[in-house]
Amino acid sequence: MLFLQLLVDGLVSGCAIGLVAVSFSLYYSTTRVFHVAHAGIYTLGGYLAWYGAMQGIPFAIACALAVAGAAFAGAVIQRFLYDELERREATPLVMLIASLGALAVLQNGVAMLFTPNILQFPNPWRTRMLDLGIASVSYAQVLVAASGLAAFGALMWMSRRTLLGRRIRAVASNPFLAEITRLGPRSVYLAVMAIASAMAALSGIMVGLDQAMQPYTGVLVLLTATIAVIAGGIGSLTGAFVVAVALSVLQNVALILMPGRWSIAATFALFVVFILVKPEGLFRKR
Amino acid sequence: MPLRQLRSLAAAVAAAVVSALPGTLAHAQGQPEILIGALLPLTGPAAPVGLEQQQGVQFAVDRANAAGGIRGRKVKAIFEDSQAKPDVALLSFNRLADLENVPVIITAFSSVTLAIAPLATRKKVVLINPAAQSNKLENASPYLFNTIPLVKDETSAITNYLVNSLHKKTAAIVYENVAAGIDGRDDFKKAFEKLGGKVVAEEPVEFGLTNYRPTLLKVAAAKPDVAFIVITQGHPTFVEQAAQVPGFPVGAGTTFVNPLCCYAGSAGWYQSAIKSGIPPELEKEFNTRFGTKSMGFFAREYFNSTNVALKAIDHLLGKGQALNGENLRAAIFEVKKFGSDIANITFDKTNTAARGVDIQQYTADSRKILATEEAK
Repeated sequence: MLFLQLLVDGLVSGCAIGLVAVSFSLYYSTTRVFHVAHAGIYTLGGYLAWYGAMQGIPFAIACALAVAGAAFAGAVIQRFLYDELERREATPLVMLIASLGALAVLQNGVAMLFTPNILQFPNPWRTRMLDLGIASVSYAQVLVAASGLAAFGALMWMSRRTLLGRRIRAVASNPFLAEITRLGPRSVYLAVMAIASAMAALSGIMVGLDQAMQPYTGVLVLLTATIAVIAGGIGSLTGAFVVAVALSVLQNVALILMPGRWSIAATFALFVVFILVKPEGLFRKR
Repeated sequence: MPLRQLRSLAAAVAAAVVSALPGTLAHAQGQPEILIGALLPLTGPAAPVGLEQQQGVQFAVDRANAAGGIRGRKVKAIFEDSQAKPDVALLSFNRLADLENVPVIITAFSSVTLAIAPLATRKKVVLINPAAQSNKLENASPYLFNTIPLVKDETSAITNYLVNSLHKKTAAIVYENVAAGIDGRDDFKKAFEKLGGKVVAEEPVEFGLTNYRPTLLKVAAAKPDVAFIVITQGHPTFVEQAAQVPGFPVGAGTTFVNPLCCYAGSAGWYQSAIKSGIPPELEKEFNTRFGTKSMGFFAREYFNSTNVALKAIDHLLGKGQALNGENLRAAIFEVKKFGSDIANITFDKTNTAARGVDIQQYTADSRKILATEEAK
């Protein structure tokens, strides 16, 4: 029973981390910018939705507004930070430092605008439980899993079946060629950033709904997501999502075998071994 | 005597007379401000606690100034951010000690206080710790004063009650993986096993996280009679998630789990609490000043501890001694008893205050005192 409950909880958390991982992967594989401020967008989304919910706006609408707000914030970062730095031919290290700066601004801005306190959504239905027979989950956990899977599915569809998806893949595979063939890499970067930010925000909102929020927790989520991106194979959206879910399940289930203080270390040690054996990642061929 | 010389003499006499009258406006304007430092987590995961602590310090300073200052001198609190991180705190400590030259610093968090304690000894700066409870603080520095009992003293009171009055035989420990949490775990385990109990699970939670589910599930699976909880933040979320775990046992903890109180999910849980009071008019004044609904534990303790520092400074200035850390340390031991409506603090031989401990039980919307263990 304990194993099944930990497994289910791991799967649910994995869907949320998976959403951060695929959105980070999408942005990184297209732009090659290590966008650490993604963790700040994740946080911002949760706080915007919480603010909306506290004003009495129905959760679904507050959620949609927050996702739109986070997408806008991401687009602002892209347009006024990364694009500007790229125009000045900034090195990847400079881009990374700028991203860290943006993260600090976002986190502390959220703490100042809202509060540094741990916040909970005011919707009482989120804690109600649903008995699945083998385990039980809260309504909020159901939403975490459902939104994660739905957003991942939508992203895969967009990537493979739409014109924008094809443009993104073209720019990702050869930005120079995309530039001279008038595919407009900058507008693609902007669109990718907006999509990735919306997905990260959705994850932040759902996790906040389930577990409460704090301005500084996004970094740990991004760390796990980044590991999933690398282990899944950089550029592979499916790889990033699957490995994120696997890591989350592993962290949860490992508790049966070892004390909690060792489970995260053990999981990441396993990752190090894995990356030594298969450095190109799980879902990417050499 | 020429008129000019007469005027000069009159001015000198007047100045001497005015300076000999402590508390006069002229004196206050002529004297430098009394600076006290406060090294608190104003940003980062611990900021909610730090900001409440800051209010407590500022409230004490504001009240002192409204009453005319200390012997006519205005008081100013200089706040530095530690982020509850020892490395950040070291830099902030140096700023306060070397640039601002403060004789006393109010601190927060065990890991931070332990990190700056050797520097305080070397630079002879008094540290006043109103809330951190790690046992290591007992002998960390001769310049450190703990105005709250350490975790071992409080843990002993709640453990006695759990075993002797409630007959709990097995326990699980959920602790925050930081200095105070680890000390709380070790002290509870030692005290519980000494009384014949058995600890069946020890599960850490990381500071700043809000997903307690895996830990709670593992604790419930161990089927203990009681779960001893040592966390300093995320309490409402902890209760909410504990209520979602079937078979989670009754919870218990020390002052640090104070915010676990008064939810349907924590009804029936137990807590020890450092004895303190708050006069309604004082709380009302605090709430008006800061727009809060109540004067929380940290605000009260930091207010009271700042007053300890101010009272010792007053004693020191009254003796005409220089205001520095070394003299202030001696002054605290000379005053020894710091009584107030909030708590009576006594530094009798040691630098850690002895205070009484209440044993409380929560209901869904309040708490009741079941027993009291007086200060030893």
